Amino acid sequence: MRFVRHPVVQYLAVAVVLFVALSVATSILSARVAATEARADARAVTVVLARSVAQPAIPKGLVDGNAGAIDKLDRQVLERLLVGDVRRVKIWRQDGTILYSDETRLIGAQYALDEEETEVLENGGTEAEVSDLSEPENRYETADAGLVEVYTRIRSPEGEPMLFEVYFSAEDLAERRAAVLAPFQRITIGGLLAMLVVATPIIWVLTRRLTRNARERERLLRASMTASEAERRRIARDLHDGVVQDLAGTAFSLTAVSRDDQVPSEVRDDLQRAGASLRTSLKALRSLLVSIHPPDLHADGLTAALTDLTAPAAAAHIESTVRVSDVGEVPDGTVALVWRVAQEAVRNAIRHAHADTLDVEVHRTDGHLVLVVTDDGDGFDPQADRDADSFGLRGLGSLVRDEGGRLDVRSTPGEGTEVRMEVKVP
Amino acid sequence: MRGRVTRLVLGTVAALLVAGLPSSVSASDDDEVRKGGSCSGGADWEMRARWDDDNRIEVRGEVDHTTSGRAWSWKIKHNGSVSAQGRAVARGGDFEVRRSLVDLAGTDHCVFRAVKVRTGEVCRGAIDW
Repeated sequence: MRFVRHPVVQYLAVAVVLFVALSVATSILSARVAATEARADARAVTVVLARSVAQPAIPKGLVDGNAGAIDKLDRQVLERLLVGDVRRVKIWRQDGTILYSDETRLIGAQYALDEEETEVLENGGTEAEVSDLSEPENRYETADAGLVEVYTRIRSPEGEPMLFEVYFSAEDLAERRAAVLAPFQRITIGGLLAMLVVATPIIWVLTRRLTRNARERERLLRASMTASEAERRRIARDLHDGVVQDLAGTAFSLTAVSRDDQVPSEVRDDLQRAGASLRTSLKALRSLLVSIHPPDLHADGLTAALTDLTAPAAAAHIESTVRVSDVGEVPDGTVALVWRVAQEAVRNAIRHAHADTLDVEVHRTDGHLVLVVTDDGDGFDPQADRDADSFGLRGLGSLVRDEGGRLDVRSTPGEGTEVRMEVKVP
Repeated sequence: MRGRVTRLVLGTVAALLVAGLPSSVSASDDDEVRKGGSCSGGADWEMRARWDDDNRIEVRGEVDHTTSGRAWSWKIKHNGSVSAQGRAVARGGDFEVRRSLVDLAGTDHCVFRAVKVRTGEVCRGAIDW
């Protein structure tokens, strides 16, 4: 699957499809052009034979079926008519009598002319059509691939119109068509292949460069996250060991003093309020410390940690729920990863989603620990360009992949967001 | 003038006689038909017909035992119309002409006729193919 996603493979797949499509299209178009060209050649040959060879050599009397005239024409022009791809020659009289043919058994026979032939006899021009070999006039033809007949009008010395008909082998025309087609195919297919050959290494080099850059960026991102985490851990530890302890001590002292009977009651009330305020601030500070850096997490404490994570949702008027099924034995590293992904997803939901509900669920299924964070907020288009904030989940996705898991973000504008992480657990 | 008229009359009579005479030699086999006879003068004629390589009738007309150096006009007719004609000069006492005729439907009537220009001597043979 990863192989299929490789840009070079995708490029090659698209290129091959395009190559085949273009090859087929150009072949069809070229074949049409070549067929037209071959037929035009046949017409041109027929016209040249009619005007330059046959008509000047037609003796008087041929139009009357005079045997001597037939002999003269046969001796004078037969060799000059049966040239190149010409397979048969016939000269017709208007009444359908074959006055001359190189197939002498046809001479004198009479067949009905079709509409096109009559049209050419009456009005001139040149026509071409595939021969119907079942017609009696074609009974001596044996061409397997069929014949193409081209006919034009000539005149006898007496001025009578006659139909000069030349038969070409369809096989010969196909060969001629192939000869015309071959250069087209060489140009189009060769050009496409050359482009493919040139472009593939370029794409490959660019892809490698992009992949290297992406890896470097990920590495920097992870280094930055690690550094940030280390810094947060230090800050959290300093706050916990310093300010938090001091504040806790002060709150404890204030409470103790407020209970001293020797202190005036109005002062005791003030001291109690100050102590309560201090404890509230202490609680907020501890919550902040949890969000800055999680405590040493174990599977048993995951529910509490996630609940702490979603605590700020109430201030944003978001109803949050946390559900953790019996996940069993899970490595601490995996629990930490779940916590970090949940932290990022919850933070995004609270900051950007404008959601009414937020649901965090962790369960174990088929050897995988699954985290699903769902909100019913604004949603977004996952394919669209994202701002810098999105690097958080993207960077976490990299971490998840490193752990052999996968992270999917499914969202649609107006229909909320679901962040789903699956990590294999022993 | 009188001599010319006499020759013309004699020639015509001789031609009619020759045309009316049966051939003195007639032979044929599967490939060739051959006929021969005497002309109105002292010469002999021979006529042959056979298939050629292109499935045409090859007709050969020959005049023998005639005076060398004398001109003859000749014709080959096919079913009554002139298929070929020309002039020939006898060399070594004879001359020969050959032409191909198209084999038409039915019987092809082929005639070879030669006339000695100076004397009007007529040679004529016919073959039905």
